[in-house]
Amino acid sequence: MLRTEGLVKSYGGRRVLDGFGVEVAPGEIAGLIGHNGAGKTTLVEVVSGLVRPEAGAVTVCGVDALREPRAARALLGVAPQELALYPTVTVREHLGLFAGLAGLRRAAARRAVATVAEELMLGDVLDRRCAVLSGGQRRRAQAASAMVGAPRLLLLDEPTAGADPQTRQALLTAVRARAAAGAAVLYTTHYLPELVDLDATLVVARDGRVVARGDRAALTADLPGEIRITLDPARTRPRLTDALRPRTREDGDDALRVATFDPPADLAALLSCGYAPLTVDVRRPDLDDLYAALAQPAG
Amino acid sequence: MRVDTSPVRAAEPRKEHRDARRDHVRNRDREGDLGRDRRTAAWRDAALRTSVLIRHNTAVLLHEPGPLIGRLVMPLILLLALRPLYEAARGPSGTADAVVGSLVTFSLLALSIVGSSILSERAWRTWDRLRCTPARPAELLLGKAVPVLGVLALQQTVVLVFGALVFGMPVAAPGLLVLACTAWGLALLGIGTAAGLVVRSYGQLSAVFDIGALVLTTLGGALVPLSTLPGWVRAVSPASPGYWAADGLRHAAEGDTGRTLVCASVLLGVAAATGAVAAWRVSRGWGRALAV
Repeated sequence: MLRTEGLVKSYGGRRVLDGFGVEVAPGEIAGLIGHNGAGKTTLVEVVSGLVRPEAGAVTVCGVDALREPRAARALLGVAPQELALYPTVTVREHLGLFAGLAGLRRAAARRAVATVAEELMLGDVLDRRCAVLSGGQRRRAQAASAMVGAPRLLLLDEPTAGADPQTRQALLTAVRARAAAGAAVLYTTHYLPELVDLDATLVVARDGRVVARGDRAALTADLPGEIRITLDPARTRPRLTDALRPRTREDGDDALRVATFDPPADLAALLSCGYAPLTVDVRRPDLDDLYAALAQPAG
Repeated sequence: MRVDTSPVRAAEPRKEHRDARRDHVRNRDREGDLGRDRRTAAWRDAALRTSVLIRHNTAVLLHEPGPLIGRLVMPLILLLALRPLYEAARGPSGTADAVVGSLVTFSLLALSIVGSSILSERAWRTWDRLRCTPARPAELLLGKAVPVLGVLALQQTVVLVFGALVFGMPVAAPGLLVLACTAWGLALLGIGTAAGLVVRSYGQLSAVFDIGALVLTTLGGALVPLSTLPGWVRAVSPASPGYWAADGLRHAAEGDTGRTLVCASVLLGVAAATGAVAAWRVSRGWGRALAV
């Protein structure tokens, strides 16, 4: 459905995309994560035809998006990171514009607008001007304009940035529904729990290229978990073993964190050193750990 | 040695050749039909998208009717104020000069509609959003231009009808007047579109329109009769499109075909040149704008 290969794009001598390659299959939600500057938004701009790469290939549903950009754009719906709404028109008119540009005739466009508005809880504000919408409603209207033509590929660039929990939930539900209907979804975000909610395939970007791809379990399998113990700050800390010391860090005056692949053994080692924890928390590796391990800028 | 010279065998290659030719022609016709169907569908889609854009941009204009109403009423008030001045300076023909002057001056305000509407789209980032759709740049520009041309046509009609009915402005050749108005409207559209695409902020756009209005109206002899202005202004006035608009409209009202065609040609040249600048800017991406 979406396939990019070896994309290269530079701005001011800096390579923002440096061989970026990603694939998203029909019905798949690919969650693209990475720090600011990793190339996520530039990738969305290249796929949507706003930016031309210096090298590489982009294919959307078998259409070469660099040779036939209009044909490719007819297959995708885009919700850019920054809000792009007509403030002076109503939500209905705004969505009607994008339904029409997606090729829907008047009656079909009206139905599509009503459906997507219902899906994204915009039914009550359809006849309000975009300028008077709340932040969350604007986010939903933005996503609705991407979804209204039932595109085969959805590009959602941080669609929930600054959104309230209700908006976030409505958006995630709508995205899941689109994927279930067969659309491919490329979803960039910094909110990692959303990707767990979406059961998305994780794509980790760093310095303009993809450094890891897979499901959450596979990508976190090789990462350590963590033991966190709280201690009485008045008591002297016992000496750690050589094996534990490099994996241990202070967490304030009264806690220690130990990176671990074997929590029972390391907890036993702590106790044998003479530690008397007041509380013990054991945490399995999660997406934050993955993000920290993979998405940090190289070097 | 036996040589088979039977006509059947000799004819086989020719028959195969004929069949191949017939298949080729059929395939070509079929592909031609498919190509034609595809082209027809593409044109139909383009027409649908353009009509959607025209409808949308008309709605955007009508949601803020204040500027439109102002641009329709203000020329009539200016016309009432300037007519005595023009008649004092030019005699009975002053009425036509006052109508034309008022029309040219206030059609420049309509110019700001197209410029600011394009700049607003850039500032709202909706241009980029539209560029992610299958719409061609030409469709986007046409969708923007048609409602503004409609506003210009309405404004010009109101002023000319008011001038003719209330002040008895003589119109010898209505057809020529329509030609001159159309050429002036297209020139304004080109100038406004180019300005809206080249500037980077509302402040820059405002400066462009302030200076442009001075050049197009005062130097062009639309605001006050050219004959009352200093000699150096009269010398440079042909550099202003406003001069050709006012001159063309006056001569069109008098029924002077030759002069009207010259003026219309100059205005269409301005439209083509500024349209080319706009197209060049569009082909390089619209650029980001600042809402300041």
